[in-house]
Amino acid sequence: MARSGSPGSRPSTASLWLTPLLMLVAGAAVTLVVPAGARAGVALCGLAATGFVLWEELRRERAVTALREAHAAAEATLRHRLAGQEAAAVHLATELLPAALDRLRHGAVAEDAVRGLVPENGSRLGDAHERMLRSVVEIVDTQVGVHDAAQRAFVNIARRVQAIVHQQALDMRAMEDKHGNNPDVFGDLLHLDHGNALIGRLADSVAVLGGARPGRQWRQDVPLFNVLRGAMSRINDYKRVDLHSVAEFAVVGPTVEPLIHAIAELLDNATRYSPPQARVHLTAIETTSGVAVEIEDAGVGLTDEARVRAETALALGATELDLDDLGETPRLGLAVVGRLARANDFTVALRPSAYGGVRAVLTVPQDALTATPFPGGMIAHAAVLPPPRPRPRPDLGPVAPARDDADDGIERNANGLPQRRRRGGRVPARTVPAPAGPAAPAPPPDAPVQPGMWLADFQEGVSGRLSAGDVDDPRGDAPIGKGE
Amino acid sequence: MSGTGARPGGAGGPARRGWPDGAPERLYVVGAAEGPPAERAPLDLVTLVVTRPGAKPGAHPEHGAILRLCAGPLSIAELSAYLSLPASTVTVLVAELVEDGRVEARAPMSATAHPVALLEAVMDGLSKI
Repeated sequence: MARSGSPGSRPSTASLWLTPLLMLVAGAAVTLVVPAGARAGVALCGLAATGFVLWEELRRERAVTALREAHAAAEATLRHRLAGQEAAAVHLATELLPAALDRLRHGAVAEDAVRGLVPENGSRLGDAHERMLRSVVEIVDTQVGVHDAAQRAFVNIARRVQAIVHQQALDMRAMEDKHGNNPDVFGDLLHLDHGNALIGRLADSVAVLGGARPGRQWRQDVPLFNVLRGAMSRINDYKRVDLHSVAEFAVVGPTVEPLIHAIAELLDNATRYSPPQARVHLTAIETTSGVAVEIEDAGVGLTDEARVRAETALALGATELDLDDLGETPRLGLAVVGRLARANDFTVALRPSAYGGVRAVLTVPQDALTATPFPGGMIAHAAVLPPPRPRPRPDLGPVAPARDDADDGIERNANGLPQRRRRGGRVPARTVPAPAGPAAPAPPPDAPVQPGMWLADFQEGVSGRLSAGDVDDPRGDAPIGKGE
Repeated sequence: MSGTGARPGGAGGPARRGWPDGAPERLYVVGAAEGPPAERAPLDLVTLVVTRPGAKPGAHPEHGAILRLCAGPLSIAELSAYLSLPASTVTVLVAELVEDGRVEARAPMSATAHPVALLEAVMDGLSKI
């Protein structure tokens, strides 16, 4: 009766009263039916039974209510815990695991990556989460280790190839100097040298894709002109590249090799995807943000699909690159350019060219540039060497006694020196201005002016040679080529 | 950075001026000629090269260097030493300049063209002065 107010207990309250009421009615009916003598006893018994039933009903009702309350409390507790676990699972998936992997990516060992992430409340769930996290991180760590080892092996092999190629290049250069006088051998050496450079570029590409720097380190600044020609040296079809105007800058040492390699890859793309007879134009112009190296080909140009593919390849190199992404027949070029660009702050853009092909523009940032020490390239520096002056005459040693009776058909002047004829076709000439070449001494001031001196003066004027000491330098031979 | 005063070292081979461990470019790019050098012009080691008056240096640094060096006549062998380039490469470069009409190349005398008597007469005359 006390709990009858709660809506849930209303039906049971009704049934609670129903049974005693029926018993009461039944008792009353029986009381009326039985003989009068027994009525008092029957009515007493009926009342007693009804009272007992009522008491029993009330007791059960109380017990049921208590149970129901206990059940509700337990359910609420369970729901609460379930919600907590759900939140913990979500937290694990969205917060803890990424955080642990992030730590791992930044170089933490597996143990440190997990430590402190799961709050230590001693619950079995927390422990389980930590164990799961730990095993996931360990698996990832192992995989990353395997991947890194593979990449290191790649780079290691590439480095060894690079070392051999570099040594070959030095040897080849020495041989080119040694056999420079023999055009046949020299031509063959250049051919080998070219092949060697192509191998070197491939090894550089593998090293770059393996996450290392390309090849060698340059200790000195290198003029941009030489950098561009260096890039030309490393492609197959260098003869198709026209090197036009080049801004007079030098590239700082650490950027030289990446720049050479990136331009070489772009040039290789340009020559490879344009008709074999089409020229590829290479220029470098100064811009506000640095120097823009432009590579323009007259190829078929990029379709939209090809452009997307090219830009994907560039971006692929710029972000994380998996060697598996390169596919069965790897196209290394643009991925390498993208990676080099990211590491050295180059920007690379592929645009349609006015020639119909592709114009690739690689911008070198200002801080990778410096004033060029030798405008026009390092080899031109040789030109500041003083041109050879007439060298001192070596001691000719004892000279045969002069013959006064010279009667050999040679005209002689007052000093006994042979006299040049005014006119006479080919005049004997000196073969080589050899270092030991004897130079005629200046005539005494009082010597008569020689007939024919005008011709010598004229020839000196033509040759640009002006030396009072050299009286005579006749070259009667006709020049070669277009010179008359 | 560069050995400014480094002169070609004669028989010891040219010094690698400024490039302690090799230049970035290879020689086939420096003399990037279409044909083999021998077919272009009859030039050999002792051919004398002289810059023609008013020749413009152009963009090619080696061409500029040859034009400047050849203000006075220089043999190809000497040019090769001064530029630290093999003679064949210099030959190619000079051949290009000859084709452009920027230098004159003079063929050397053949040995038979030297009258010994004349040379002896010159020596005699000189020794008498």
